[in-house]
Amino acid sequence: MRISIEGVGIQFRKGVKVLDDVSLEVATGDFVALLGPSGCGKSTLLNAVAGLLDPAECAMLGRIALDGGARNGTRLGYVFQRDTLLPWRTLAENIHVGMEIHAVPVAHREQRTRELIALVGLDGFEHYYPHQVSGGMRQRVQLVRTLAYEPEAILMDEPFGALDAQNRMLLQAELLRIWERRRTTILFVTHDLAEAITLAQRVVVLSKRPGRVKRIYDIPLPSPRDPFEMRASPAFAELETRIWKDLRDEFRAVPA
Amino acid sequence: MRTLSLVSRRLAFVGALLLLWEALTGGLGLPAILDPIIVARPSAALQEIARYSASGLLVKDVTVTLQEATIGLLLGIGGGVVFGLLLGYLRPLAETVEPVLVAFNSLPRIALAPVLIIAFGLGIASKIFLSLFTVFFVIFFNTYLGIRSVDPELVKALRVMGGDRWDLARYVVLPSVFAWIFAALRTSVSFALSGAVVGEFVGSTSGLGYRMVISAGLLDTNRTYAILLLLMAIAVVLVEIAKRVEDRLLRWRPTAILAS
Ligand SMILES: Nc1ncnc2c1ncn2[C@@H]1O[C@H](COP(=O)(O)OP(=O)(O)OP(=O)(O)O)[C@@H](O)[C@H]1O
Ligand SMILES: [Mg+2]
Repeated sequence: MRISIEGVGIQFRKGVKVLDDVSLEVATGDFVALLGPSGCGKSTLLNAVAGLLDPAECAMLGRIALDGGARNGTRLGYVFQRDTLLPWRTLAENIHVGMEIHAVPVAHREQRTRELIALVGLDGFEHYYPHQVSGGMRQRVQLVRTLAYEPEAILMDEPFGALDAQNRMLLQAELLRIWERRRTTILFVTHDLAEAITLAQRVVVLSKRPGRVKRIYDIPLPSPRDPFEMRASPAFAELETRIWKDLRDEFRAVPA
Repeated sequence: MRTLSLVSRRLAFVGALLLLWEALTGGLGLPAILDPIIVARPSAALQEIARYSASGLLVKDVTVTLQEATIGLLLGIGGGVVFGLLLGYLRPLAETVEPVLVAFNSLPRIALAPVLIIAFGLGIASKIFLSLFTVFFVIFFNTYLGIRSVDPELVKALRVMGGDRWDLARYVVLPSVFAWIFAALRTSVSFALSGAVVGEFVGSTSGLGYRMVISAGLLDTNRTYAILLLLMAIAVVLVEIAKRVEDRLLRWRPTAILAS
């Protein structure tokens, strides 16, 4: 699925102007990372794409189109910054939800859940409730419950932000493998530059609030990528230095 | 404290209380500090329970009171859930009727007893209504607040997955509302019992509450205390059942560790 963001500006009724004239085209099968200082409107932009902004709370200028049109009936996935697993459902049942909504047959559902649980190393924890597992495990379930119903595009909001370095790299590797196999369109928010370079085909740097697109970088690193090895490569280091110059200025600046 | 099981520790505590009470009322060959005419001796009250039971009245009275409390409880829960959901979903209606509901809720509900007896007579109907009212408001407010406090982030997550209104209700709203309702179950059970008993105090022809006022009127201290003990025992059993149901249905919830 193609995501077109054209001249989007968002202002909350409270008076905070969050985004200003943001234009971004995410082609089908593209993996785009959004990078920017805290509070610049990254989550807000994802919410706008997902159609979750409440018009009573904020006003939006510009246009967002999915495959050129409105978002009716499109399958979108969203891995939230905050934990949004249903606390009253076990991990396996949480993975089922999206498939139940999309009427995936029961046998197929069970099969897929088993595969996904294994994919993120949660075998044996299927019947645990979210409060009984660690934050990192919950985050992994959030990821696979989104993959489960095979969305055409996935929005991810710092999905690995709460993980330790090791788990983070393991999941990055997993996400890359999945993306390389399926080529699902991904719009990925992070404020970790190395993560953005590791994962994305393109990195978009946003300015401090109100967020504007400061620059878009192509990441011409070869596929398949290995998050455990890439950091050592000179090409990676060179990109990191280049993008960091831009980012540093935004991180340093006090938000308007 | 870890060596004895919880049940045995509890029983030991109850036993100690009864012994102390027995001693204070002149049992165990000690001088009476409390006059047994005014405060019954537990041994005498327990013997009275046996006599009460042998007369056949005990079973009859317990049946009546439990019947009133149970029907009141079930109707109160049903009504509370239905109205809570209705008003939770229909904001404008809720805003309109809210002051009246708050007024009713701040009324000591037991105060409705005389009115209900005038309206529904001395039979079990008036007690069922009193039970129902006391339970209704607890459940109603919990259901209503439950809907209001549904986590908006969970709603968003479901909407992105493509969930419609029914999916939202089924996956998010109802489960979180049920958590609130179950949490009110224990309170409701004891409210239902008090509703029935107080209704019987005010005007009735049978039931534990009825037998208790009659005995107190005749200065039959032993029987009055016997019934008091019975009511406590019934309440303990019912609340324990409610607690088990609640723990079972809410096992997904983290339990706060307050003390170890
Ligand atoms: N519902 C709201 N009402 C008013 N202001 C809001 C609301 N939601 C977000 N904002 C404001 O919008 C700004 C951007 O928020 P957003 O969550 O998009 O930032 P972010 O870039 O995702 O930050 P972070 O990296 O810390 O997650 C913040 O200053 C925040 O105060
Ligand atoms: Mg954010």
